[in-house]
Amino acid sequence: MSYLGRRLIRAAFLLVGVSILCFLFTEMAPGSFFDEMRLNPQISPETISSLRSRYGLDQSLVVRYGRWLRSALHADFGYSIAYNAPVAPLLWSRAKNTLLLATTGMLLTWLVSIPLGVWAAARSGRMLDKSVRVASSLLVSIPEVVIAVALLAIVVRWRVLPVGGMTSMDDEGLSQWARLQEIASRMLLPTIILTLGESAIIVRHLRASVLEVLDTPFVQAARGLGIGRMRLLFRHVLPVAASPAISLLGFSLAGLLSGSLLVEVICGWPGLGPLILDATLSRDFYLVIGGIMLSALFMVGGNLVADIMLLACDPRIRTGALDAR
Amino acid sequence: MKAIARLTLLVCLLAGVCMAAGPSPEKPNPGEELERAGQVSGHYGGNLTIGGRAEPKTLNPVIATDTVSREVIGRMMADLIDINRASQQTEPALAKSWKTSPDGRMFTLQLRKGIRFSDGHPFDADDVVFSFAVYMDENVDSPQRDLLIIDGKPLTVTKVDQYTVRFILPRPYAAAERLFDGLAMLPKHLLEKSYREGKFVQAWSLNTAASEIAGLGPFRLKQYVPGQRVVLERNPYYWKVDSQNERLPYLDELTFLFVGSEDAQVMRFEAGESSMISRLSSDNYNLLARERDRMRAQLADMGPSLEYNFLVFNQNDLRSKKLDAVAQKQQWFRELKFRQAVSAAIDRDSIVRLVYGTRGAPLWGNVGPGNKQWVNTAIPHPQRSVDAARQLLKSASFSWNQAGQLLDSSGKPVEFSIITSSSNTQRMKMATLIQDDLSHLGMQVHVVPLEFRAVIDRVFQSFDYEAAIMALGGGDADPNPEMNVWTTSGTSHLWHLHETEPASPWEREIDQLMQQQMITLDYGKRKQLYDRVQQLIAEHLPFIFLATPNILAVANPRVGNFHPAVLDPYTLWNADELYIRTPIESAAAR
Repeated sequence: MSYLGRRLIRAAFLLVGVSILCFLFTEMAPGSFFDEMRLNPQISPETISSLRSRYGLDQSLVVRYGRWLRSALHADFGYSIAYNAPVAPLLWSRAKNTLLLATTGMLLTWLVSIPLGVWAAARSGRMLDKSVRVASSLLVSIPEVVIAVALLAIVVRWRVLPVGGMTSMDDEGLSQWARLQEIASRMLLPTIILTLGESAIIVRHLRASVLEVLDTPFVQAARGLGIGRMRLLFRHVLPVAASPAISLLGFSLAGLLSGSLLVEVICGWPGLGPLILDATLSRDFYLVIGGIMLSALFMVGGNLVADIMLLACDPRIRTGALDAR
Repeated sequence: MKAIARLTLLVCLLAGVCMAAGPSPEKPNPGEELERAGQVSGHYGGNLTIGGRAEPKTLNPVIATDTVSREVIGRMMADLIDINRASQQTEPALAKSWKTSPDGRMFTLQLRKGIRFSDGHPFDADDVVFSFAVYMDENVDSPQRDLLIIDGKPLTVTKVDQYTVRFILPRPYAAAERLFDGLAMLPKHLLEKSYREGKFVQAWSLNTAASEIAGLGPFRLKQYVPGQRVVLERNPYYWKVDSQNERLPYLDELTFLFVGSEDAQVMRFEAGESSMISRLSSDNYNLLARERDRMRAQLADMGPSLEYNFLVFNQNDLRSKKLDAVAQKQQWFRELKFRQAVSAAIDRDSIVRLVYGTRGAPLWGNVGPGNKQWVNTAIPHPQRSVDAARQLLKSASFSWNQAGQLLDSSGKPVEFSIITSSSNTQRMKMATLIQDDLSHLGMQVHVVPLEFRAVIDRVFQSFDYEAAIMALGGGDADPNPEMNVWTTSGTSHLWHLHETEPASPWEREIDQLMQQQMITLDYGKRKQLYDRVQQLIAEHLPFIFLATPNILAVANPRVGNFHPAVLDPYTLWNADELYIRTPIESAAAR
């Protein structure tokens, strides 16, 4: 079986495992969607139990999971109790925005991290390296939520950027270009928050990896042959040091997605974050499970892309894959 | 050349304004029986943006349960008889008048002639009969269905003629006309098909095209942007006119912006992105008050709300549950003097000061000062007294050890936990203050913050709690919605749920009084009966009442006719009358 095939089967098992855990945890969580109605003295318990049975909440966990799995195989992730609508279109309408934010964040993260990591390693021990190390240590140790709230407070205080939402209310009359600018300006704050948190990790990994390669004999030989500094770093050192960084890509995509859910809630970005949070708080179980499965799918996809890239870039993995056959 | 450029710019601007505006209101015609809204005046135009906590979940008025959906739907729909949020009295809406039979069981409603839904289709008795058929259908499971079932029997609705409808109640029901408030009349021509096909629950979701949704409210759906906003535009056929005989509403558009937390709402308000916040906490109210000079915002403190926060002890029958630890403590909770002592030791003024920043009112009964029509002002308001509390405990055979710890008659230390919702910071603060107050009596109290639904689950289902801080009320001012709280068989009889027989003479008396007030049609007699209910509750303390917050709201200075009320929806109940002032009008209003 091919390397890729094995990875795909593993991913499928992982997704089934995640879905089982989702159902178990939602079963363990106290309360249900209709509990809030109990606070309304005008709604009878009979109405509440009738509503519970309409949405299948009175069925056993195994029955509910079996039904859900059957429908999930046909790309139907269940029915949102709150929205009275299928889960998939609800998630997709928000997932587009989350993906836009996460991909932009990821691109920016790598654009910042690669030169900074390589540069810091090349100037190891000097002022720049020290500054990068201090800054990245700080950013790694400060929780993303604190960075987000602090930046949000600054932006609101100084009114530098529009806060919340993706488009302004009068966007109907705007040209495509103006609309794009509007989205970009509203996306800037969440993107910066995501980039700051994630690039700190990648810079540190890349720096360590490049430092390791810089000590190898082939780099010393290349130096002796008089190859220019930039060419040496980006043409010869970076491809060798890229292996661990590429593995990080998969994790960083997953990290950005999970991180973006939090940042979306704080910054009011209309992505999956606020939807899943609201669904979790209101116990809209199928929407929560759908959201988690979608995030898991993104994570598995990200790791798969990273595996494929590693397979293409690193001959050692190709050999390992051949050996394993 | 310059002049041509200016002219072009002006034309462009005017075109822009025209494009942005909603549909123009139809001129009132003599065939329409329109409602004249008293002294209301204003002028057309503008978009009002309201910051909200979340997005609505549905636009279907029959199945909507969440507050946000109901707030949006309420602006698109209308009922037959409405409760005026300012006066708290009923007033004609789609029914221009009604007659009640002498026995109070039969209501004959005269509908307005010539009025139309927001898609231009005429409204008549068939729509009313259809609407009630849907609300009362067991297969639809509308949360409002229970309102229309009295003594287990549904009310009957018959069409007398095209503009007359008759309702027959299974038995006399005081203030029955209040039942009609909030029951939106549905367009039969748009919804009958989905109802007959058994797909009514799926109808009018957020993704339904605006052209397929029509109502009789002041606005109609224009646009829904997932996760961001719902935009409503003027209903050009709305059935109310102002003092100048101009058709309402004044606003071109009403936008609900989904912002998130209340802090985020305040942030967007300060940034000028929203023009109104319907309900503020005292912290945010005071924050905006400090910036009043800069922002010139219209801050409104409408006084105490109808909501009551209370501490409840678990007195449920736990014999079938494995909750021995809780059951052992129930002998304290069932002791009236113990509850009276707890009540006497709680410093309600501190709660109002520290939790609501003085923007609230202390409570000693279930009806607060905000409900002027029904509050029993004779209920005593004793000041906090630790000495009185100690006396009460002593007379109930409690004692104290040398360390000052309170012991029961068997020498067991009095220690219990209070659960409350962790997402409600105000109730968390109350719990902490009560913990401190009761420590002066030698009681050891633990505050256990739990997720909101976990609290509900414990209080209503598992009974796995000792005491809880919760809130009820806030809906209608009338006593009838409280039936389920105070009667023995009531579903919100929280201190002792699923009680088959009244556990004590005072509970039996409350049952009788509540049933009696429900069939008494005379207000004065009802008030006497309900006063006695309030008195019994205050004396026997099944709940220990704490405080009620004031209704606080804010609007941009340019919002005209901003008159919040203590009944929900606090600020948008008169959305049809709100208008955008010109800068000169705003300056004059200041």
